[in-house]
Order: sequence, then structure tokens, then C-alpha cells
Amino acid sequence: MEEDELIQRAKEGDLDCFNQLVERYQREVYSLSLRMLGNASAAEDATQDAFFSAFRGIGKFRGGSFRAWLFRIAANACRDQLRSLRRRPTTSIDSVPLELESDQPSPEDFAMRRELGEEIKRALAALPPDQRLAVILRDIEGLDYEEISQVTGSSLGTVKSRINRGRARLRHHLERHRELFP
Amino acid sequence: MLSPYIDGQLGPSDREGMEGHLEGCQACRRELESLRATVNLLHRVAMVSPPRSFAIAKAAPKPLPAAVWSFGVLRVATAIAALLLVFVFAGDATHLFEGGLIEERAAQQGTLMDGEDGEVSDKGGTPAGGEEYVWPVSELELALLGVVVVLGGATAVLWQIRRRGGERALGG
Repeated sequence: MEEDELIQRAKEGDLDCFNQLVERYQREVYSLSLRMLGNASAAEDATQDAFFSAFRGIGKFRGGSFRAWLFRIAANACRDQLRSLRRRPTTSIDSVPLELESDQPSPEDFAMRRELGEEIKRALAALPPDQRLAVILRDIEGLDYEEISQVTGSSLGTVKSRINRGRARLRHHLERHRELFP
Repeated sequence: MLSPYIDGQLGPSDREGMEGHLEGCQACRRELESLRATVNLLHRVAMVSPPRSFAIAKAAPKPLPAAVWSFGVLRVATAIAALLLVFVFAGDATHLFEGGLIEERAAQQGTLMDGEDGEVSDKGGTPAGGEEYVWPVSELELALLGVVVVLGGATAVLWQIRRRGGERALGG
């Protein structure tokens, strides 16, 4: 079934159709949450909260990019989780490794990629949340500037500036581990 | 400017300007190269498969109506007790309860409150020769504080239970 039809039926209260949308997007939403929060259980909570809010609020979806609309809800859920993580910082340990795709996997390559993944995780965690969100949406989730502007509710200029500053910081952080780059 | 340049976000004139500058500036070329490497690295970050399905359960068990009811009542009761406490505190601070005369009790209370007469005067009350009824303000405050703590605690416990129930319902 086409996405538009699923959305229409979900708006009419068809839970099965909504759950098909969940199946389509849960990987992206969970990945976004995990990269934003750096904590697997908080990412799980944020993802579940996001889909639950989306189901309750789907009547308010007025067309356009459903993905951007969903990501906006997920970004808000992440913001709530970040707030509660700040209140109990001891639980903010993430055992899920950040994996990098590779064309020719070999055992030595694997160890290197693992290390690089850890560095990227650290570098992302060190970014201010607004910049982190913008960079994740652009470079990991692959959204264009217009969609990011919809997700974050910010102007295109703000989006540009956040991506610019976020990437510059990441570059600065990763430069120190230049030997890990391919 | 390098970041929007990589993403093709610059207008034709800005892009040309940038390319002209890059030709003559080795430092910027190096920075561009390193920024590109960073961006390419981020492009390789893999999506993560979620540990479970986030589909919403059809028969999501609703929180028990009784729990909802008692949660609502507890919340309101806590709020009322807290408001009362604030009111009594504020009254205490503004000497609202001092000088409030209840003639018929004055005789009984007079002897008991003798020791506190001086204190009342200090707070700016208007003692009429020990004839006034002094409200047991601090006792009232303590009692209300106790009530607020107990009600608040019960509300928090119930909220946690509801939250877990909600999570289970969402868990599918």
C-alpha cells in the first residue's frame, strides 16, 4: 500500500496501517534517537514515545514529508529524554557500538573501524544538541536542508549555520585521530 | 562557507568565488579536504536495527480506571494540601494569624499561651493583655507539611506504577 493511503487510513484510526508506517520508519527513528542520545535504553524510550505521540497526533499531519513530520516528533522525544538523562547522568552509558559501513571488511579493518566508531560517538556526544541533531539529520540520515528546517522548525540560515559549526567541531575532534581515517 | 559548498548550497556567484579562493589558498584546500573526509565518514555510519518492534499493540491494556481515579484524586489532594501550606506559610510571614481574637477561647488559651506572648509581640501582633487566641501556626504548618509529603509520595509511587503500566502497554 502507498504511504499516502496508509497515512489516510491511520488518520481514520486504522492501527494496522499505522503500524505499517512504524515498520517502515522505526529503523530510521531508532537510529536517530540512538545517535542523538548515545544511550540504547533512552533511545528505545524516545522511539516508543515518538510513535505513540505520532499515532495520537496523526490527525494533525497536513501533508508534506511524513518522514520530516515523524522526525520532528522524534527530535522532541529525544529532547525529553536528554532532559531526564541530565537528571540521572550515571545511566548514560551506551554499549551499542557505532558501526561504519565498509566495502571490503577484513579483521584488522574491523578493529580500526570499531575504534573510529567510538571516536565518532564521542565527537557527536560533545556537540551541542542543536548542532548534533542537524549533523545527524544531514550526514547520517541523509535529509536535505529543507527537510531539516521542517524537522527542527528553524530557518534555512539557522540549519546551514548549525551544520557548518557542527561539522567543523567534528572535524576538529576527529583530526586528532587522523591515523584512523581510511 | 565550506560546509554549504560541499553540499552544493552556494549560489553560482558564491560558488565561483569559493572556487577562485580555493585555487590560491592551500590552507583552505586542506581544510576542505579534511571536512570532506569527516562528512564521508559520517555517511558511512550505519543505521541500527531496533532491538524490538515499536508497533503499537492493538489491545493496549489501559491503566486501571481505579488507578486513574485515585491518581487524579491524589494529585488534586496534594495540590490542595500544598496550596494550604503555602497559604499558612504566607499568612505566618505576614502575621495574618496574629491578633485574631476568639473571645470565648481566650480564657482557656490565655494560660497556655502565656509563654508565647512575648514572641507574639515581637512578631508585631497586638496582644491585648493575654486575652487573644494565638493560632497554633507552626503546628499547623508541620502537620500540613506532613500531609503534603505523604500525599506527594503516594502520588509519585502511583505515577511510577502507571508509567510502567503505560510502557508495557506501548511495548506490544
